Amino acid sequence: MKRFPFLLALILFYCNSIVAQEIAIEATRLSGRVIAEDGTLISGATVTLANQNLSTTTNPKGEFQLSYLEAGDEELIIDAAGYTGTIEIILIQKDQTNQLGDIRLQPDIALEAKDEVLLNLAESELNDDEGKTQDQASSASSSTDVFNNLIAYAWSTPRYRNRGYTQNYETNYIEGISFNSAERGQFNFSAMGGLNDASRYKETTQAIEANNFSFGGLGNATNYLMSATNYAQGWKVSAAGTNRNYKAAVRATYSSGLLSNGWAFTGQLAFRFSPYTEKKGEIGEGINYYSFGYFFTAEKQWGKRHKLNLITFGAPTMRGQSAAVTQEVYDLTNRYNKNTWGYNSYNPYWGYQDGKMRNSRIVKSYDPTIIAGYTFNINEFHKLHLGLGFHYSLYSNSALNFYNAPDPRPDYYRNLPSFLRDGQIDENGNFITKDMRGQNLGSGFYDPSGNYLGGSIDKTTYMNLYDAWSSRDDATTQINWDNIYAANRANNVNNPDGAARYILERRHNDIYEGMFSANYQYTKIDHLKMTAGLELKESVGHHYKTVDDLLDANQWIDIDPFAERDIADLAENASLSQAEIAIVKQNDVANPNKVIKKNDRFGYDYTIQMTTFKAWYQNEWNWHDVDLYYAAQVTYSDMLRESKMMNGRAVYLCLIQPEMEQYYLGPKGLDQSGNLKGYRHRFIDPAFKVGLTYKINGRNHLKFNAIAMTQAPLARNAYISPRIHDRAVENIYTHDRAKNLKDYYAASEKIVGGDLTYEFNYPIVRGRVTGFYTRFWGGTELNAFYDDEARTFVNQAMTGLNRQHCGVEAALSVKLGTYFTLTGATSIGDYRYTSDAAVITSAENGMALGSNKNGAVYEIMDSVMMKGVRVSNGPQLNASLKLSFFHPKMWFADVTLSYFDWNYLSVAPSRRLKSLYTDTNYDNFGNAINVNGSYKDANALTGDYDKNGKPILKYPYSELDQQESLADANPWNRFLLDVSVGKLIYLPNRQSLSINLSCSNLLNNVHFKTGGYQQARLPRSTKQGVQDDVNSVINTNVWKFPAKYYYAWGANFYLTITYKF
Amino acid sequence: MNKHIATFSVIAILAISLISCNINEPGQQYINEDQVKKIVGNGLLLNLNDLKRAPYMTEKGNYCDPALYRLRASGKGHTKDVSYLDTIWLFSIDTIPTGRPLYIRGRITTDDFSGNFYKTLCIQQMVGGRQQALRISVDAGSVGGLYQIGQELLIRIDGLAIGRYANQPQLCVASYNNNIYANKAEEKVGWVPGRIPFSEFNKRVTLIGKPQTPHCDTIEIFDFINHLNQVENRFDDGRLVCIKNVYYTGQYSKYGDPANCTTNDPDDFENGSSANVFAPSTGNMNFPQSRIITDEEGYMTLVSASEYAKFSHFYLPGANENGIAGCQDYVGNVTGILGYYRDNNITKLYNNVDSNAPAWADWSITIRSLDDLQLFDEDGNLWERREYRRK
Repeated sequence: MKRFPFLLALILFYCNSIVAQEIAIEATRLSGRVIAEDGTLISGATVTLANQNLSTTTNPKGEFQLSYLEAGDEELIIDAAGYTGTIEIILIQKDQTNQLGDIRLQPDIALEAKDEVLLNLAESELNDDEGKTQDQASSASSSTDVFNNLIAYAWSTPRYRNRGYTQNYETNYIEGISFNSAERGQFNFSAMGGLNDASRYKETTQAIEANNFSFGGLGNATNYLMSATNYAQGWKVSAAGTNRNYKAAVRATYSSGLLSNGWAFTGQLAFRFSPYTEKKGEIGEGINYYSFGYFFTAEKQWGKRHKLNLITFGAPTMRGQSAAVTQEVYDLTNRYNKNTWGYNSYNPYWGYQDGKMRNSRIVKSYDPTIIAGYTFNINEFHKLHLGLGFHYSLYSNSALNFYNAPDPRPDYYRNLPSFLRDGQIDENGNFITKDMRGQNLGSGFYDPSGNYLGGSIDKTTYMNLYDAWSSRDDATTQINWDNIYAANRANNVNNPDGAARYILERRHNDIYEGMFSANYQYTKIDHLKMTAGLELKESVGHHYKTVDDLLDANQWIDIDPFAERDIADLAENASLSQAEIAIVKQNDVANPNKVIKKNDRFGYDYTIQMTTFKAWYQNEWNWHDVDLYYAAQVTYSDMLRESKMMNGRAVYLCLIQPEMEQYYLGPKGLDQSGNLKGYRHRFIDPAFKVGLTYKINGRNHLKFNAIAMTQAPLARNAYISPRIHDRAVENIYTHDRAKNLKDYYAASEKIVGGDLTYEFNYPIVRGRVTGFYTRFWGGTELNAFYDDEARTFVNQAMTGLNRQHCGVEAALSVKLGTYFTLTGATSIGDYRYTSDAAVITSAENGMALGSNKNGAVYEIMDSVMMKGVRVSNGPQLNASLKLSFFHPKMWFADVTLSYFDWNYLSVAPSRRLKSLYTDTNYDNFGNAINVNGSYKDANALTGDYDKNGKPILKYPYSELDQQESLADANPWNRFLLDVSVGKLIYLPNRQSLSINLSCSNLLNNVHFKTGGYQQARLPRSTKQGVQDDVNSVINTNVWKFPAKYYYAWGANFYLTITYKF
Repeated sequence: MNKHIATFSVIAILAISLISCNINEPGQQYINEDQVKKIVGNGLLLNLNDLKRAPYMTEKGNYCDPALYRLRASGKGHTKDVSYLDTIWLFSIDTIPTGRPLYIRGRITTDDFSGNFYKTLCIQQMVGGRQQALRISVDAGSVGGLYQIGQELLIRIDGLAIGRYANQPQLCVASYNNNIYANKAEEKVGWVPGRIPFSEFNKRVTLIGKPQTPHCDTIEIFDFINHLNQVENRFDDGRLVCIKNVYYTGQYSKYGDPANCTTNDPDDFENGSSANVFAPSTGNMNFPQSRIITDEEGYMTLVSASEYAKFSHFYLPGANENGIAGCQDYVGNVTGILGYYRDNNITKLYNNVDSNAPAWADWSITIRSLDDLQLFDEDGNLWERREYRRK
């Protein structure tokens, strides 16, 4: 079995060798040059003969040549990044070289503005205290594909994801080197923040289809081309203004073109900035933004066969962040903005300090990158490309931390008017009208928003809060920095050697990556292109915290506040004294009560080392009626966690569960250098794909693609509590004891998928229809949240997640006379979980989460009722209609109207635990534990089951486990309108000036939810006078921890002026 | 080429200079006496005891003092007649009317570091040579971390409420308690003192000067348990006091009578209430646990602690797993917040007749941490903290 991949490679190679090696004699050729209107040479443009399905790319001089063609009428499709594509009807004469001369393309001056939309969304990725982030939109690029061309930008606002796949299923390369992070699985678009020109040229293949630079994967594959000769010679300077996260940008790009000595140079500098956006409700409220980007690339060509590239780029960025908010907060804060058109952006992360705005969440990122590429055209049939890359992703985010002090978040649930409802809701979900003695509570009242409040709500208190929120009172709705400083100063007086009450900490996640790639192409065999590749990546993800600002305190002490707070319970659970387990609160046992000053590391400090090695092979056959490709890949990967701090909770867990010590501390425990080295978890993942294109005729094609693969879990999902110990998802340990091959992909996700496309291409009408179906088995996800039952943070690792993604994509483009083109696209999908998942839950501070006859239980085994839940990853119903206008006097405009629906809230697994319905979960050994405070205890079960086997809850409890649609109740609020208009002016001496204005969400739809998630916490009350293990009950105020949402920006614009010379 | 370099340089310098802007430096926000006067302006600055006594209008009713109640019986929102007062309530709540700005001021005397002043601040104000005090109920865990011991506060109070829980006055908001999960739920149902929402409290508070060590009066047990002065003494609830030359008797109050503590498991809430620790479990009923101290005169009072305090399961000074024999060996000072707590719903306060319990058991000292117990053996050794450990 171990030899299987190697045997497969041999067989594939053998198949090629037995094919007749017929080399055609001199035949019909086609050549020409692609240039811009102003004469700029366009390199890297794709030139395709539509009927013969042949294509090539232009060289640095814009030249192209296609050989061995069939004579007759043809359609020549030319596509180049940064330009609007064109289709030319040509006649190819037999047995001669057909010279087409210069083909001129119009620059797509709206592109920069559109790229900025994607980048802004990528950077506005939101982090909150449940560690939730919102996926950015798919990286579909502008291309000749009608569908991708339309959706790439129009569907980015609602964060549409191609076929519902998360980012880790898309592959992104730069000059043939993989840049998907081994730890996070995704490409960091903000690494190239602001460097639009640098990242403009790329080749993208749709979903499973074959490409030249990689095996690809399930989602789109993109290779950014950054050779210096790709860029147009000369200067390009642009300035932009916008009302998004940043307000202004300036850029300058220079490209030398290919010099006579064989060198070419290109460089870009970019600067984007915004002071704090002070106006409440305005897009980017409370956010400041400074980003400087640089990009330099040098290319050396010698002879006709050698090319060397050296590339470096980086974009040191500092930017504030904003947060997802509950509907209540959104509605209240928007009352303040109700008369201000376009404003809906309340941001709880900022506050005034000494009268000046300050955001508590400042991201600092910098991804210095160096790439070297060597291309060796060995001869006409052999081509070799080698790549070497170094990438250091420095990413950190600040956040307030506090010790024995109140939570400083202004939108903390207890600070909101809705918290007053707690305890006032009856079993039917209504306000109580009589108290438990039967006393009538009288009539209630309505607040100015029209919400009814029952007679048991104190109107004065409620309205004080309501008014403060709806008037955006600073002391209520924003962080109170002055109070925080005052608390620390007071603490310096009362407790000069003690820990600060508040600090601003910085959470670092730095990733170092070294990469090597080799790509070999062989085209000697007629109709066949063979491609093989090797990829090696060594990564080290480093996680630690530092003190960003002591906020006038003397110092921070490195202990865990939650462990300290719960030390009495932790001692009781272990039947030990507090003194005996005093170590539990230490974050670094070797340095107890360590005094931490500014910039010192504390809390946790660990690395995850990852190695990835891929070998792949691909054959592409091109015949007259049929194209066929097939490819195979094998991936070896491993991960190993190493901690530079011995955490007290890990020691505590070993103390009370000695049999688990190897899992918490690794196989060898503490080494001589004081480091803890965990298990090395190894994975071997095979992948296969195949595709067939049947050319019904030159204009109508049928395409079929299929893939089967396994994919190792991401490191970020593999460890249950990586800040504390080495414990990983259970089945990963198998690899250290593996005896056969299948053990090495036992923990990997298994994927099988395929798509079928009908594509047509006529001079007036182009389009395609694609159906796709993909199944996933054995996915892994990690969630962390505050659990009211355990009164501490818990980690939940889900395994065995199965999903299916199926749907249809369709697009149609119709030319309407000389000036107009009408394009429509739709994607209708059904992405859902198809089974329940296993879950293991443990507390971050080592607290027991249950008990049974064997005593306290620290890891709870359960399952999550995920079957039937929709995958929350962008809308599943999308449709757009775009009207484009082009006037030969270089006026451009387009209007796009889009409709989005079937977008779903991300459910909290903690609300769908099977034990909540059955009253029982289990310890590691399968012994039952009686659950404290379940739906069953609350008599919330109806006795009925839904079609997926999940018990149905009575109202209002049903609100807790239902998946909500994010589509607004008003259908008009599901529409977005985007408009773009531009003008290009040619000046003497090949100079040009272009102006473009892009407006997104012109209808100012401020109710459009782009995503959201259920909070994991369940509303609980404590029963008095009963034993501890049955003292909790889920209460009737099911809205206590409501969902949080991300909203689309209101109307926003991007104005660019570009001067080329 | 030089032109190109110059262009790049200008852009780079511009970028670097803009990116290196600093974040704001923190500002000062304590106020002084002049600023206090300015803030109060035409408003009214009340003494704490005035606030406790003041017959502000009530919408919620159920105030315990019939004399005051009659004064306000015609007030807005009353639905009950005076005869209803014969049933004295465990809770009362009176809203403080809005209109004219009303303020109080006082220095914080508590913190919750040890978990014994959950969501409560006590403030103290020197008036006419005597400390006045008030409890403030704020809906924020570890509120003492933000409003720290020794810090003087100016608080705007109109729109809030004065409530009593078992006759213990507190600044609060009105809240309806229909807690179906409570024990003895019937008597607790109704309008009760609720915690002031944290953001609401923040909005109302201004810090006066920098923190200073709060004043602590040394008093005798007799001073506050004296029956004759009980009504007036009740206003001393919340004061920070120190009682000298006292020791733990190893007893607790069993319905008002001293009873010896035992070596029972304090986690067993049904049988462990007599355990010789500071605060055995109550099964989450949340009422404070008390242990008796006595002075040279033989007067007794209680030292109170919460079952959620970090030291709740520490043995009483001198006690251990074998019993309470050593308790009386440790004598010294006990510092804490004086409390008057009368949770008997048939108490007749207006004539000071107590049908059920001796007055001494209505009083307690709530310690802020074990550091408040400065008890020494005859050799001058400070008592050693020892934890209960389940066998």
